[in-house]
Amino acid sequence: MKPVSDPVFAIERLCKSYGSGPATVHALRGLDLTIAPGELLVLLGPSGSGKSTLLNILGGLDRPTSGSARFGNLDLATADDDTLTEYRRRHVGFVFQFYNLIASLTARENVELVSEIADAPMSPDEALGLVGLGERTTHFPAQLSGGEQQRVAIARAIVKRPTVLLCDEPTGALDVATGVKVLESLLHVNETIGTTTLLITHNSDIARIGDRVVHFADGMIRDVEINAQRVAPSQVRW
Amino acid sequence: MSPLHHKLLRDLRRLWIQVIAAGTVLGCGIAIFVMSIGTYASLESARDDYYRQSKMADLTTSLVRAPNSLEPSLALIPGVAAIETRTVGFGLIDLPTVDEPVTAQLLSLPEGRRPAVNDLTLRAGRWPEIHRPNEAVLNEAFASARGIEPGGTISLLIRGERKRFTIVGVASSPEFVFAVAPGSILPEPGRFGILWIQRSTLASALELDGAFNDLVLRLSSETARAAVIATIDQRLARYGNRGVYGRERMLSARYLTDELSQLKTLASILPPIFLVVAMFLIHSVLSRLVGMERSNIGLLKSFGYRNGAIGWHYAQFSLAFSVVGIAIGISLGIVVGQYMTGVYREVYHFPTLDFRADALTFGGAAAVGLLAGLLGAFSAVRRATRLAPIVALSPPTPTSFRKLSGRIERQLASLSLRSRMVVRRLFQFPRRSAMTIIGIALALALLIMSEHFPIAINRLLELNFGTAQRMHTTVTFADQRNETVLREIRGLPGVIMAEPMRVADVFFSNGHRREREVIIGLPQNAMLNRLVESNGSIVVPDKTGLTLSASLARKLGVEAGDRVLVEATDGLRVTTQVSVSKVASPFLGGSAYMDQTELGRLLREPGRINGAYLIIDPEQRQPLNARFKQIPSIVGVAYTDRFQSELQKLFREGVGFFSNMFLFFSLSMAAGVAFSAARITISEQERDLATLRVLGYDRKAISILPLAEMTVLLVVAIPTGLLLGAALSNWMMHQFETDLFSFPLIFDRGAYAQSTLFVTVAVLLATVWARRDMNKIQLVAALKSHE
Repeated sequence: MKPVSDPVFAIERLCKSYGSGPATVHALRGLDLTIAPGELLVLLGPSGSGKSTLLNILGGLDRPTSGSARFGNLDLATADDDTLTEYRRRHVGFVFQFYNLIASLTARENVELVSEIADAPMSPDEALGLVGLGERTTHFPAQLSGGEQQRVAIARAIVKRPTVLLCDEPTGALDVATGVKVLESLLHVNETIGTTTLLITHNSDIARIGDRVVHFADGMIRDVEINAQRVAPSQVRW
Repeated sequence: MSPLHHKLLRDLRRLWIQVIAAGTVLGCGIAIFVMSIGTYASLESARDDYYRQSKMADLTTSLVRAPNSLEPSLALIPGVAAIETRTVGFGLIDLPTVDEPVTAQLLSLPEGRRPAVNDLTLRAGRWPEIHRPNEAVLNEAFASARGIEPGGTISLLIRGERKRFTIVGVASSPEFVFAVAPGSILPEPGRFGILWIQRSTLASALELDGAFNDLVLRLSSETARAAVIATIDQRLARYGNRGVYGRERMLSARYLTDELSQLKTLASILPPIFLVVAMFLIHSVLSRLVGMERSNIGLLKSFGYRNGAIGWHYAQFSLAFSVVGIAIGISLGIVVGQYMTGVYREVYHFPTLDFRADALTFGGAAAVGLLAGLLGAFSAVRRATRLAPIVALSPPTPTSFRKLSGRIERQLASLSLRSRMVVRRLFQFPRRSAMTIIGIALALALLIMSEHFPIAINRLLELNFGTAQRMHTTVTFADQRNETVLREIRGLPGVIMAEPMRVADVFFSNGHRREREVIIGLPQNAMLNRLVESNGSIVVPDKTGLTLSASLARKLGVEAGDRVLVEATDGLRVTTQVSVSKVASPFLGGSAYMDQTELGRLLREPGRINGAYLIIDPEQRQPLNARFKQIPSIVGVAYTDRFQSELQKLFREGVGFFSNMFLFFSLSMAAGVAFSAARITISEQERDLATLRVLGYDRKAISILPLAEMTVLLVVAIPTGLLLGAALSNWMMHQFETDLFSFPLIFDRGAYAQSTLFVTVAVLLATVWARRDMNKIQLVAALKSHE
């Protein structure tokens, strides 16, 4: 698999539905979108509007019902299981709302989990340093605060120097002060290693930190807005 | 149906494999319980009913000869309810189709009436008619083994005279429920016949006209027992009385008692092991369920559901496990019980013996099953009732892991991250890890025990036939003979070697302790019959003094160097003090041994023998048998090879079946424990495993995790199980020992290796099967779940 230059993702008429017959739920209804390298794209919209479904398809966790989602030459819609695993391993970093750290591994070990299978990772300490967690690396998740856990999750996502970073409500479970720190970490990573970053949020204020904001409603893109003036996370409130 | 009931049914449908796994283990325990208690009760009630209906004797004695006129006064002894004097002897049955002579025990039948004690149950035909002296009744086991029916005839050699009897009836007797020929320890129905002949006919054939040589009686109350024994012993002393004894020394009754106590042992040892493991499985499944449903429980409570309703909801899961276990256990128990009763029917000859487990047994089984379920569910139910409603709203917290001790952490540093995950989980849940280890170890131990049983018996047979009793043939005489008869025997066709057999029936006393046993006289340099200990070593009795078995020495309270009083019950009835020169542990047979010459000297009957052990040329078997049939003093000819094959058949049917049953039960337990543990490991780590997949680990890489966890547990469980198995099997065999035999201590490497292999395969297969669930993990759904 060869990393691509431009665009990172090319999405055409992407549809995803669940169930069948009258009970069919249409999560995505014909999406078209291209995402450029290094871009920080915010996906904004209410629950059930299709943001997470798109993120899951782009992360190789789910497959569309129709349409195509290309990562370079790779069509994520038709790739087999092994190819998607390989794709996630090489190119994708995930950050989830509930952190998804392995409870039986320390912060550093959680990061090593990815660095040990990546092609050209940075050192786990460097990744933890990037998110401001140079200390407490020998603590288990249960011994860390929510914000610290989320920053470990970010460090784990970026240690492989991923092509894309997919973040599903990374601040959803955090208070404002902690959330700001997490957003700063994400921004820092985006700027320092040039990772294309997709960030899901409910919060329109947070959307102001991105290059572009994609507004979702009923499984469709209602609007794509370019932030003429990006704001720093410290100026965001929710 | 309430929503909680809907939830219960759906959850049970989802957890059905685990319900079956725990239910099967529970069922195995209940099956053994039903089988052993049911068989015990069937055998005991068959025995008690039969003894009562047929007036089984409480006491008996044999004597040389006493006049019939004595009987009325004996019947008047206080405490005697009924008495029957008899003439009893031995003969040889000459069957045209059978080469070797068959031993016959001959008992007199009162004329014109039924026996007042040890009555017969006529199974076919009729009673002999008083004026037809050549009519006889034959025991059912021999009749059916040889296909003899009423109307058939039998040629009998009694004291050298050939007599023909017409079999008019076929009967069973309470004193021959377990019918073994003299000198044997095993019933061989086709080689030992029992004939009841009218009193006057038999008396004249045995030269006992107007006299009796055997007495059986029933007591009116058990309290009179000691007084009755003393009175009869005293009154019959001058008639060559050998000493009155009770059912505890009557061979058939003694075997039955031993069998019943072994069934009781089985019922008390094995079911608890299965029940404990089943409880652990139920505990694991329900704890996991309550753990996963924490927020649901909190939510239900916040809606107003009471603690009792929540507790009852989870307790109902345990009822489902119990119901499955009880259903499997009772049906399996009945099938196995019926089979076992069938095996017993071939060995013990009751008029009727059917497997009948009563309502109490089934009720007990159900109660035990329910109790095991409830105890297994107890802590999970308690946890569910104690959960505060607030947990529904509180954010998820990762399981709290902590650093292990410095040394372990240093060791861990050299392992891969996934290995660290495995090790930390094992230490994080030490109780569960320990229970899984114990479950697998117990399964292994049970398997070893089931393999141990046939091995112990084979070793016993090897010792017996290879080292202790190496004769091809044993010849028994009706009375003691002078050992010069050996010269004649050595001259018979095909006899290569002959050694004398000398047995003396005696009372041993030490103070108030008194035991009736036989002394076996062994010639110096004996080759064919030797005293062998359970470890295989051969013990040669000293030239003077007694060699006692450890159990007899213990009963008498004596050690080597002490003296005991010996009273012979027949012959010259010598009473003398003898010193104990050795205490040995013979694995089978006698309890007291002496140098043969010394025994003769001690009893003042030198050179007398009761029989002979022979090595023969197999080619000459037929002419030798023909000659045996012509020697009047011979009443028994036993061939070791036939005895051996009879034994093997019996063990194949009984022990073989048991071994296979335990093999199945143990493997079910190992697989049940492993499946449950693997399933829970996977379900607990579902989110971690999904995370690993998202991070780019492929299926193979993550499926190693539960396999590695189970392998570590298995590696710890195996040595534990091996040790437990060795201890349990030798202890179990010890429980099965009786005064008649003891088992050698055995460590059979092959059996241990095979059991280990079986359990390993069962555990790994169960884990691999449980691992299939990992393929079903929905990445997106698993990641969204809180825990």
